[in-house]
Amino acid sequence: MSEVEKTFIGGLKEKLVEDKVIDESELDPNFAKEIQKYGGKDVMTCLQCGNCTGVCPISLKIDYKTRSIVKFCQFGLKKYTLGTRWVCATCYRCYEHCPADLNPAEVMIALRHIAVREGIIPPFVKTAVTNLVKYGQSVKPDPEIEKIRKELGLKRVHSEDPEFASVIREIQVLVHASKYDKLIGIQEEVKL
Amino acid sequence: MTSYLNFFGCVIPNRYPGVEYSVRWVTGPEGFNMDAVDHPQFSCCPVPGIFYSTDKETWLLLAARNLVLAQDAKRQILTVCNGCLSSLLKATEYLQEPKNMGKANRILAQIGKKYTGVPVKSEGKRKVFEPVKVRHYIEVMATDVGLDAIRQRTKRSLKNIKVAVHYGCHYLRPTEHMTFDDPNEPVMLDRIVEACGATSVDYEDKLDCCGAGGGVRSHIVELANSLTQDKCTNIAAAGADCIVTGCPFCLLQFDNAQKSFSKDGIPVMHVSQLQALAMGIDPISLGFDTHHVSAHSLLRKLRGV
Repeated sequence: MSEVEKTFIGGLKEKLVEDKVIDESELDPNFAKEIQKYGGKDVMTCLQCGNCTGVCPISLKIDYKTRSIVKFCQFGLKKYTLGTRWVCATCYRCYEHCPADLNPAEVMIALRHIAVREGIIPPFVKTAVTNLVKYGQSVKPDPEIEKIRKELGLKRVHSEDPEFASVIREIQVLVHASKYDKLIGIQEEVKL
Repeated sequence: MTSYLNFFGCVIPNRYPGVEYSVRWVTGPEGFNMDAVDHPQFSCCPVPGIFYSTDKETWLLLAARNLVLAQDAKRQILTVCNGCLSSLLKATEYLQEPKNMGKANRILAQIGKKYTGVPVKSEGKRKVFEPVKVRHYIEVMATDVGLDAIRQRTKRSLKNIKVAVHYGCHYLRPTEHMTFDDPNEPVMLDRIVEACGATSVDYEDKLDCCGAGGGVRSHIVELANSLTQDKCTNIAAAGADCIVTGCPFCLLQFDNAQKSFSKDGIPVMHVSQLQALAMGIDPISLGFDTHHVSAHSLLRKLRGV
Protein backbone atom coordinates (compact mmCIF):
# COMPACT_ATOMS: atom_id res chain seq x y z
CA MET A 1 0.00 0.00 0.00
CA SER A 2 1.44 3.32 -0.94
CA GLU A 3 1.32 6.53 0.96
CA VAL A 4 1.23 9.98 -0.52
CA GLU A 5 2.25 13.00 1.45
CA LYS A 6 -0.19 15.86 1.00
CA THR A 7 0.16 19.41 2.15
CA PHE A 8 -2.90 20.91 3.74
CA ILE A 9 -3.77 24.52 4.31
CA GLY A 10 -1.26 26.04 6.68
CA GLY A 11 1.60 23.77 5.67
CA LEU A 12 0.36 20.82 7.71
CA LYS A 13 1.68 17.64 6.13
CA GLU A 14 -0.18 14.37 6.48
CA LYS A 15 0.45 11.00 4.94
CA LEU A 16 -2.68 9.74 3.23
CA VAL A 17 -3.62 6.43 1.71
CA GLU A 18 -3.85 6.63 -2.06
CA ASP A 19 -4.13 3.00 -3.13
CA LYS A 20 -7.36 1.13 -2.81
CA VAL A 21 -5.45 -2.11 -2.18
CA ILE A 22 -5.00 -2.73 1.52
CA ASP A 23 -2.54 -5.17 3.01
CA GLU A 24 -4.16 -7.29 5.68
CA SER A 25 -1.17 -7.01 7.99
CA GLU A 26 -1.89 -3.29 8.42
CA LEU A 27 -5.36 -3.84 9.82
CA ASP A 28 -6.08 -3.71 13.52
CA PRO A 29 -9.06 -6.01 14.13
CA ASN A 30 -9.80 -4.46 17.53
CA PHE A 31 -9.83 -0.88 16.29
CA ALA A 32 -13.62 -0.64 15.92
CA LYS A 33 -14.09 -2.06 19.41
CA GLU A 34 -11.71 0.52 20.79
CA ILE A 35 -13.67 3.29 19.05
CA GLN A 36 -16.93 1.96 20.44
CA LYS A 37 -15.45 1.91 23.92
CA TYR A 38 -14.79 5.66 23.72
CA GLY A 39 -18.28 6.55 22.57
CA GLY A 40 -18.19 6.08 18.78
CA LYS A 41 -20.81 3.38 19.06
CA ASP A 42 -22.16 3.80 15.53
CA VAL A 43 -18.94 3.19 13.65
CA MET A 44 -19.77 -0.27 12.27
CA THR A 45 -23.34 0.52 11.19
CA CYS A 46 -22.37 3.25 8.69
CA LEU A 47 -23.72 2.54 5.20
CA GLN A 48 -21.26 4.87 3.44
CA CYS A 49 -23.86 7.11 1.82
CA GLY A 50 -21.61 10.15 2.10
CA ASN A 51 -24.14 12.69 3.39
CA CYS A 52 -21.78 13.48 6.25
CA THR A 53 -18.99 14.49 3.86
CA GLY A 54 -21.40 16.62 1.85
CA VAL A 55 -22.40 18.75 4.81
CA CYS A 56 -19.01 18.83 6.56
CA PRO A 57 -17.54 22.37 6.51
CA ILE A 58 -14.01 20.99 6.83
CA SER A 59 -14.38 18.42 4.03
CA LEU A 60 -15.10 21.31 1.68
CA LYS A 61 -11.75 22.85 2.47
CA ILE A 62 -9.18 20.11 2.82
CA ASP A 63 -8.60 16.52 1.84
CA TYR A 64 -10.48 15.16 4.81
CA LYS A 65 -13.61 13.20 4.07
CA THR A 66 -15.79 12.14 6.98
CA ARG A 67 -17.11 9.13 5.09
CA SER A 68 -13.62 7.83 4.25
CA ILE A 69 -12.47 8.19 7.84
CA VAL A 70 -15.42 6.13 9.04
CA LYS A 71 -14.62 3.55 6.34
CA PHE A 72 -10.98 3.36 7.47
CA CYS A 73 -12.18 2.88 11.04
CA GLN A 74 -14.39 0.00 9.92
CA PHE A 75 -11.43 -1.63 8.18
CA GLY A 76 -9.17 -1.12 11.17
CA LEU A 77 -6.69 1.21 9.47
CA LYS A 78 -5.60 2.71 12.73
CA LYS A 79 -2.48 4.63 11.82
CA TYR A 80 -4.10 6.37 8.84
CA THR A 81 -7.06 7.66 10.80
CA LEU A 82 -5.20 9.03 13.79
CA GLY A 83 -3.54 11.70 11.63
CA THR A 84 -6.81 13.52 10.97
CA ARG A 85 -8.24 13.63 14.46
CA TRP A 86 -8.07 17.34 15.32
CA VAL A 87 -9.60 18.89 12.21
CA CYS A 88 -13.21 18.07 13.14
CA ALA A 89 -14.96 21.24 14.34
CA THR A 90 -17.56 19.11 16.22
CA CYS A 91 -20.31 21.12 14.55
CA TYR A 92 -22.49 17.96 14.50
CA ARG A 93 -23.83 18.67 11.01
CA CYS A 94 -22.97 15.09 9.98
CA TYR A 95 -25.08 13.81 12.84
CA GLU A 96 -27.96 16.07 11.86
CA HIS A 97 -27.95 14.88 8.25
CA CYS A 98 -27.22 11.17 8.71
CA PRO A 99 -30.15 9.18 7.27
CA ALA A 100 -29.33 6.27 9.58
CA ASP A 101 -29.22 8.58 12.64
CA LEU A 102 -25.57 7.79 13.37
CA ASN A 103 -23.11 10.19 14.92
CA PRO A 104 -19.82 10.49 12.97
CA ALA A 105 -18.70 13.41 15.17
CA GLU A 106 -18.61 11.06 18.15
CA VAL A 107 -16.40 8.71 16.11
CA MET A 108 -13.96 11.60 15.59
CA ILE A 109 -14.05 12.30 19.31
CA ALA A 110 -13.33 8.62 20.02
CA LEU A 111 -10.34 8.85 17.64
CA ARG A 112 -8.99 11.73 19.74
CA HIS A 113 -9.40 9.63 22.87
CA ILE A 114 -7.37 6.85 21.24
CA ALA A 115 -4.71 9.20 19.87
CA VAL A 116 -4.16 10.78 23.28
CA ARG A 117 -3.74 7.33 24.80
CA GLU A 118 -1.18 6.52 22.09
CA GLY A 119 0.81 9.53 23.26
CA ILE A 120 -0.12 11.86 20.38
CA ILE A 121 -1.04 14.95 22.39
CA PRO A 122 -1.19 18.32 20.61
CA PRO A 123 0.56 21.11 22.58
CA PHE A 124 -2.60 23.23 22.88
CA VAL A 125 -4.30 20.46 24.86
CA LYS A 126 -1.44 20.47 27.32
CA THR A 127 -1.60 24.27 27.59
CA ALA A 128 -5.35 24.29 28.24
CA VAL A 129 -5.15 21.56 30.88
CA THR A 130 -2.20 23.27 32.55
CA ASN A 131 -4.19 26.53 32.66
CA LEU A 132 -7.10 24.70 34.21
CA VAL A 133 -5.11 23.16 37.06
CA LYS A 134 -3.23 26.43 37.64
CA TYR A 135 -5.97 29.06 37.29
CA GLY A 136 -9.21 27.04 37.27
CA GLN A 137 -9.86 28.38 33.77
CA SER A 138 -8.73 27.13 30.38
CA VAL A 139 -7.81 30.62 29.22
CA LYS A 140 -4.81 32.24 30.87
CA PRO A 141 -5.58 35.55 32.59
CA ASP A 142 -4.07 38.52 30.73
CA PRO A 143 -2.68 41.49 32.75
CA GLU A 144 -3.75 43.93 29.98
CA ILE A 145 -7.33 42.71 30.22
CA GLU A 146 -7.10 42.95 34.00
CA LYS A 147 -6.39 46.69 33.59
CA ILE A 148 -9.44 47.15 31.38
CA ARG A 149 -11.58 45.21 33.85
CA LYS A 150 -10.52 47.66 36.51
CA GLU A 151 -11.40 50.63 34.30
CA LEU A 152 -14.84 49.16 33.66
CA GLY A 153 -15.34 48.67 37.39
CA LEU A 154 -15.41 44.88 37.16
CA LYS A 155 -13.96 42.69 39.89
CA ARG A 156 -10.71 40.85 39.36
CA VAL A 157 -11.18 37.51 37.61
CA HIS A 158 -11.90 34.71 40.04
CA SER A 159 -8.64 32.95 39.39
CA GLU A 160 -6.79 35.98 40.85
CA ASP A 161 -8.83 35.72 44.02
CA PRO A 162 -7.01 34.11 47.00
CA GLU A 163 -10.27 32.41 48.03
CA PHE A 164 -10.20 30.61 44.71
CA ALA A 165 -7.27 28.46 45.90
CA SER A 166 -9.69 25.89 47.37
CA VAL A 167 -11.39 25.57 43.98
CA ILE A 168 -8.07 24.97 42.25
CA ARG A 169 -7.31 22.30 44.81
CA GLU A 170 -10.65 20.61 44.15
CA ILE A 171 -9.95 20.61 40.42
CA GLN A 172 -6.52 19.09 41.00
CA VAL A 173 -8.05 16.35 43.19
CA LEU A 174 -10.52 15.46 40.44
CA VAL A 175 -7.93 15.55 37.65
CA HIS A 176 -5.61 13.37 39.73
CA ALA A 177 -8.37 10.92 40.74
CA SER A 178 -9.26 10.19 37.13
CA LYS A 179 -5.53 9.91 36.23
CA TYR A 180 -5.98 12.64 33.66
CA ASP A 181 -2.82 14.44 34.80
CA LYS A 182 -0.78 11.36 33.96
CA LEU A 183 -2.56 10.86 30.64
CA ILE A 184 -1.78 14.38 29.45
CA GLY A 185 1.62 14.44 31.13
CA ILE A 186 1.21 17.38 33.48
CA GLN A 187 1.80 15.58 36.82
CA GLU A 188 4.30 18.19 37.96
CA GLU A 189 1.58 20.90 37.82
CA VAL A 190 -0.68 18.99 40.21
CA LYS A 191 0.53 19.69 43.74
CA LEU A 192 -1.53 17.73 46.19
CA MET B 1 -39.28 35.08 39.32
CA THR B 2 -36.68 32.59 38.19
CA SER B 3 -33.32 32.89 39.89
CA TYR B 4 -30.11 32.41 37.96
CA LEU B 5 -26.41 31.89 38.51
CA ASN B 6 -24.23 33.74 36.03
CA PHE B 7 -21.80 31.43 34.26
CA PHE B 8 -19.35 33.51 32.25
CA GLY B 9 -16.86 30.77 31.39
CA CYS B 10 -13.24 31.45 30.43
CA VAL B 11 -13.21 33.56 27.26
CA ILE B 12 -15.46 36.41 28.39
CA PRO B 13 -13.74 37.41 31.68
CA ASN B 14 -10.22 36.92 30.30
CA ARG B 15 -10.60 38.26 26.74
CA TYR B 16 -13.82 40.29 26.37
CA PRO B 17 -14.55 42.07 29.68
CA GLY B 18 -16.93 44.39 27.78
CA VAL B 19 -19.27 41.45 27.24
CA GLU B 20 -19.23 40.67 30.95
CA TYR B 21 -19.98 44.31 31.72
CA SER B 22 -22.90 44.47 29.30
CA VAL B 23 -24.41 41.19 30.51
CA ARG B 24 -24.26 42.45 34.09
CA TRP B 25 -25.71 45.78 32.99
CA VAL B 26 -28.57 44.26 30.98
CA THR B 27 -29.53 41.79 33.72
CA GLY B 28 -28.86 44.25 36.55
CA PRO B 29 -30.85 47.10 38.15
CA GLU B 30 -30.28 49.45 35.21
CA GLY B 31 -31.60 46.80 32.84
CA PHE B 32 -34.19 44.10 33.47
CA ASN B 33 -33.38 43.73 37.18
CA MET B 34 -33.19 39.95 37.07
CA ASP B 35 -32.27 37.75 40.01
CA ALA B 36 -28.88 36.74 38.61
CA VAL B 37 -25.90 36.39 40.95
CA ASP B 38 -22.33 35.09 40.67
CA HIS B 39 -20.99 31.94 42.25
CA PRO B 40 -17.41 32.49 43.43
CA GLN B 41 -16.50 28.82 42.97
CA PHE B 42 -17.41 28.21 39.35
CA SER B 43 -14.48 26.93 37.29
CA CYS B 44 -14.13 26.26 33.55
CA CYS B 45 -17.17 24.39 32.22
CA PRO B 46 -14.79 22.49 30.98
CA VAL B 47 -14.15 23.16 27.29
CA PRO B 48 -15.80 20.46 25.18
CA GLY B 49 -13.12 20.73 22.45
CA ILE B 50 -10.38 19.75 24.90
CA PHE B 51 -11.84 17.72 27.75
CA TYR B 52 -14.85 16.04 26.14
CA SER B 53 -12.53 15.15 23.26
CA THR B 54 -9.75 13.57 25.26
CA ASP B 55 -11.29 12.03 28.37
CA LYS B 56 -15.03 11.92 28.94
CA GLU B 57 -14.63 10.76 32.54
CA THR B 58 -12.62 13.82 33.59
CA TRP B 59 -14.91 16.07 31.57
CA LEU B 60 -17.94 14.72 33.42
CA LEU B 61 -16.30 15.15 36.84
CA LEU B 62 -15.34 18.77 36.21
CA ALA B 63 -18.76 19.61 34.74
CA ALA B 64 -20.54 17.82 37.60
CA ARG B 65 -18.57 19.90 40.09
CA ASN B 66 -20.07 23.07 38.59
CA LEU B 67 -23.53 21.50 38.43
CA VAL B 68 -23.38 20.56 42.14
CA LEU B 69 -22.75 24.22 43.01
CA ALA B 70 -25.88 25.25 41.09
CA GLN B 71 -27.86 22.38 42.58
CA ASP B 72 -26.96 23.42 46.12
CA ALA B 73 -27.76 27.06 45.37
CA LYS B 74 -31.13 25.96 43.90
CA ARG B 75 -30.69 28.21 40.89
CA GLN B 76 -30.61 27.78 37.13
CA ILE B 77 -27.29 28.23 35.35
CA LEU B 78 -27.33 31.18 32.95
CA THR B 79 -24.58 30.59 30.38
CA VAL B 80 -23.43 33.31 28.04
CA CYS B 81 -21.42 30.93 25.84
CA ASN B 82 -22.41 28.14 23.45
CA GLY B 83 -19.49 25.98 24.59
CA CYS B 84 -20.48 26.20 28.27
CA LEU B 85 -24.09 25.49 27.29
CA SER B 86 -23.26 22.38 25.30
CA SER B 87 -20.77 21.06 27.86
CA LEU B 88 -22.98 21.55 30.93
CA LEU B 89 -26.20 20.48 29.20
CA LYS B 90 -24.59 17.31 27.90
CA ALA B 91 -23.24 16.63 31.39
CA THR B 92 -26.71 16.83 32.95
CA GLU B 93 -27.84 14.33 30.36
CA TYR B 94 -24.94 11.96 31.09
CA LEU B 95 -25.65 12.23 34.80
CA GLN B 96 -29.24 11.10 34.29
CA GLU B 97 -27.76 7.66 33.66
CA PRO B 98 -27.52 6.05 37.16
CA LYS B 99 -24.25 4.30 36.27
CA ASN B 100 -22.55 7.56 35.27
CA MET B 101 -23.93 9.39 38.28
CA GLY B 102 -22.71 6.73 40.70
CA LYS B 103 -19.27 6.67 39.15
CA ALA B 104 -18.97 10.47 39.23
CA ASN B 105 -20.25 10.70 42.80
CA ARG B 106 -17.69 8.19 44.05
CA ILE B 107 -14.89 10.54 42.97
CA LEU B 108 -16.78 13.75 43.83
CA ALA B 109 -16.99 12.42 47.41
CA GLN B 110 -13.25 13.13 47.68
CA ILE B 111 -14.03 16.86 47.51
CA GLY B 112 -17.19 16.52 49.61
CA LYS B 113 -19.68 16.97 46.79
CA LYS B 114 -22.57 14.90 45.52
CA TYR B 115 -24.69 15.33 42.43
CA THR B 116 -28.33 14.31 42.78
CA GLY B 117 -30.18 16.88 40.77
CA VAL B 118 -32.62 19.40 42.22
CA PRO B 119 -35.32 17.89 44.45
CA VAL B 120 -38.72 18.90 43.06
CA LYS B 121 -41.20 16.92 45.15
CA SER B 122 -41.41 13.85 47.37
CA GLU B 123 -43.66 10.86 46.83
CA GLY B 124 -43.92 9.32 50.27
CA LYS B 125 -40.36 8.70 51.39
CA ARG B 126 -38.97 8.89 47.88
CA LYS B 127 -37.68 12.20 46.60
CA VAL B 128 -38.04 13.08 42.94
CA PHE B 129 -35.08 14.86 41.37
CA GLU B 130 -34.82 16.94 38.27
CA PRO B 131 -31.55 17.67 36.45
CA VAL B 132 -30.00 21.08 37.06
CA LYS B 133 -31.36 23.52 34.48
CA VAL B 134 -28.78 24.98 32.13
CA ARG B 135 -30.02 27.92 30.07
CA HIS B 136 -28.54 30.04 27.32
CA TYR B 137 -28.60 33.84 27.57
CA ILE B 138 -30.42 34.13 24.22
CA GLU B 139 -33.15 31.74 25.32
CA VAL B 140 -33.59 33.48 28.67
CA MET B 141 -33.83 36.87 26.95
CA ALA B 142 -36.32 35.68 24.33
CA THR B 143 -38.59 33.69 26.65
CA ASP B 144 -38.16 34.66 30.33
CA VAL B 145 -37.59 38.38 29.78
CA GLY B 146 -39.67 38.53 26.64
CA LEU B 147 -39.38 40.41 23.39
CA ASP B 148 -41.99 43.00 24.41
CA ALA B 149 -39.95 43.96 27.46
CA ILE B 150 -36.85 44.31 25.26
CA ARG B 151 -38.81 46.47 22.80
CA GLN B 152 -40.13 48.73 25.58
CA ARG B 153 -36.69 49.33 27.04
CA THR B 154 -35.12 50.36 23.73
CA LYS B 155 -33.94 53.96 24.02
CA ARG B 156 -31.36 54.41 21.30
CA SER B 157 -32.57 53.98 17.74
CA LEU B 158 -30.70 51.28 15.81
CA LYS B 159 -32.97 51.77 12.82
CA ASN B 160 -30.19 52.13 10.25
CA ILE B 161 -28.09 49.26 11.55
CA LYS B 162 -28.05 46.07 9.52
CA VAL B 163 -27.04 43.08 11.60
CA ALA B 164 -25.84 39.67 10.41
CA VAL B 165 -26.62 37.18 13.16
CA HIS B 166 -24.46 34.12 13.76
CA TYR B 167 -25.94 31.44 16.00
CA GLY B 168 -22.95 29.12 16.31
CA CYS B 169 -22.99 25.33 16.06
CA HIS B 170 -23.38 24.39 19.69
CA TYR B 171 -26.41 26.62 20.09
CA LEU B 172 -28.11 24.51 17.40
CA ARG B 173 -26.64 21.05 17.43
CA PRO B 174 -26.74 18.20 18.44
CA THR B 175 -30.52 18.53 18.42
CA GLU B 176 -31.26 15.95 21.09
CA HIS B 177 -29.92 18.43 23.65
CA MET B 178 -31.13 21.66 22.10
CA THR B 179 -34.87 21.85 22.29
CA PHE B 180 -35.47 25.52 22.88
CA ASP B 181 -34.96 26.82 19.34
CA ASP B 182 -35.56 25.30 15.91
CA PRO B 183 -32.16 23.85 14.89
CA ASN B 184 -32.86 24.18 11.17
CA GLU B 185 -34.51 27.57 11.27
CA PRO B 186 -33.53 29.26 14.53
CA VAL B 187 -35.31 32.53 15.24
CA MET B 188 -34.56 33.71 18.78
CA LEU B 189 -31.43 35.73 18.10
CA ASP B 190 -33.02 37.36 15.02
CA ARG B 191 -36.04 38.34 17.10
CA ILE B 192 -33.92 39.85 19.87
CA VAL B 193 -32.02 41.88 17.28
CA GLU B 194 -35.29 43.06 15.71
CA ALA B 195 -36.72 43.85 19.16
CA CYS B 196 -33.69 46.06 19.77
CA GLY B 197 -34.72 48.03 16.70
CA ALA B 198 -32.01 46.88 14.30
CA THR B 199 -32.59 44.97 11.06
CA SER B 200 -31.44 41.37 10.83
CA VAL B 201 -30.30 40.69 7.27
CA ASP B 202 -30.46 37.28 5.70
CA TYR B 203 -27.27 35.92 4.14
CA GLU B 204 -26.12 32.76 2.48
CA ASP B 205 -25.06 29.82 4.68
CA LYS B 206 -26.24 31.61 7.81
CA LEU B 207 -26.01 28.49 9.97
CA ASP B 208 -22.48 27.55 8.91
CA CYS B 209 -19.69 27.03 11.38
CA CYS B 210 -17.32 29.92 12.22
CA GLY B 211 -14.44 27.44 12.04
CA ALA B 212 -13.04 27.72 15.54
CA GLY B 213 -14.74 24.88 17.42
CA GLY B 214 -13.52 21.45 18.37
CA GLY B 215 -9.89 22.50 18.60
CA VAL B 216 -9.59 23.45 14.91
CA ARG B 217 -8.56 27.03 15.69
CA SER B 218 -5.85 25.84 18.05
CA HIS B 219 -4.66 23.08 15.71
CA ILE B 220 -4.65 24.69 12.24
CA VAL B 221 -5.55 28.35 12.50
CA GLU B 222 -5.41 28.84 8.69
CA LEU B 223 -8.11 26.23 8.19
CA ALA B 224 -10.35 27.88 10.79
CA ASN B 225 -9.72 31.29 9.21
CA SER B 226 -10.59 30.10 5.73
CA LEU B 227 -14.00 28.97 7.00
CA THR B 228 -14.47 32.36 8.64
CA GLN B 229 -13.48 34.07 5.40
CA ASP B 230 -16.31 32.28 3.55
CA LYS B 231 -18.77 33.44 6.19
CA CYS B 232 -17.50 37.01 6.12
CA THR B 233 -17.72 37.13 2.31
CA ASN B 234 -21.39 36.18 2.52
CA ILE B 235 -22.00 38.64 5.36
CA ALA B 236 -20.33 41.48 3.46
CA ALA B 237 -22.39 40.63 0.36
CA ALA B 238 -25.55 41.12 2.41
CA GLY B 239 -24.34 44.61 3.36
CA ALA B 240 -24.27 44.04 7.11
CA ASP B 241 -22.81 46.70 9.42
CA CYS B 242 -21.94 44.26 12.17
CA ILE B 243 -22.01 40.62 13.19
CA VAL B 244 -23.92 39.68 16.33
CA THR B 245 -23.42 36.31 17.99
CA GLY B 246 -24.35 34.62 21.24
CA CYS B 247 -21.05 32.82 21.62
CA PRO B 248 -17.78 34.43 22.79
CA PHE B 249 -15.68 31.80 21.03
CA CYS B 250 -17.32 32.57 17.68
CA LEU B 251 -16.84 36.24 18.57
CA LEU B 252 -13.15 35.60 19.22
CA GLN B 253 -12.78 33.74 15.93
CA PHE B 254 -14.56 36.41 13.82
CA ASP B 255 -12.64 39.13 15.62
CA ASN B 256 -9.19 37.58 15.24
CA ALA B 257 -9.56 35.90 11.86
CA GLN B 258 -10.67 38.96 9.94
CA LYS B 259 -7.29 40.69 10.09
CA SER B 260 -5.78 37.75 8.17
CA PHE B 261 -7.85 38.41 5.06
CA SER B 262 -9.26 41.94 5.15
CA LYS B 263 -8.03 45.38 6.07
CA ASP B 264 -11.00 46.87 7.90
CA GLY B 265 -13.29 44.02 8.70
CA ILE B 266 -16.85 43.91 9.95
CA PRO B 267 -17.29 44.75 13.66
CA VAL B 268 -18.35 41.79 15.80
CA MET B 269 -20.19 41.89 19.09
CA HIS B 270 -22.05 39.74 21.57
CA VAL B 271 -25.83 40.03 21.65
CA SER B 272 -25.66 41.56 25.14
CA GLN B 273 -23.52 44.40 23.80
CA LEU B 274 -26.11 45.15 21.11
CA GLN B 275 -28.87 45.08 23.74
CA ALA B 276 -26.94 47.41 26.00
CA LEU B 277 -26.39 49.78 23.05
CA ALA B 278 -30.12 49.78 22.30
CA MET B 279 -30.92 50.38 25.96
CA GLY B 280 -28.82 53.53 25.90
CA ILE B 281 -25.52 52.60 27.54
CA ASP B 282 -22.48 54.80 26.92
CA PRO B 283 -20.56 52.85 24.21
CA ILE B 284 -17.30 53.43 26.10
CA SER B 285 -18.41 50.83 28.69
CA LEU B 286 -18.83 48.13 26.06
CA GLY B 287 -15.11 47.45 25.97
CA PHE B 288 -14.83 47.66 22.19
CA ASP B 289 -11.16 48.59 22.60
CA THR B 290 -10.39 44.95 23.46
CA HIS B 291 -11.83 43.88 20.09
CA HIS B 292 -9.38 43.59 17.21
CA VAL B 293 -11.83 44.82 14.59
CA SER B 294 -12.60 48.45 15.35
CA ALA B 295 -16.26 49.28 15.98
CA HIS B 296 -15.78 52.92 14.88
CA SER B 297 -17.63 52.49 11.58
CA LEU B 298 -20.66 51.19 13.44
CA LEU B 299 -20.62 53.84 16.16
CA ARG B 300 -20.22 56.60 13.55
CA LYS B 301 -23.27 55.29 11.71
CA LEU B 302 -25.19 55.22 15.00
CA ARG B 303 -24.40 58.87 15.62
CA GLY B 304 -25.55 59.60 12.10
CA VAL B 305 -22.21 61.02 10.97
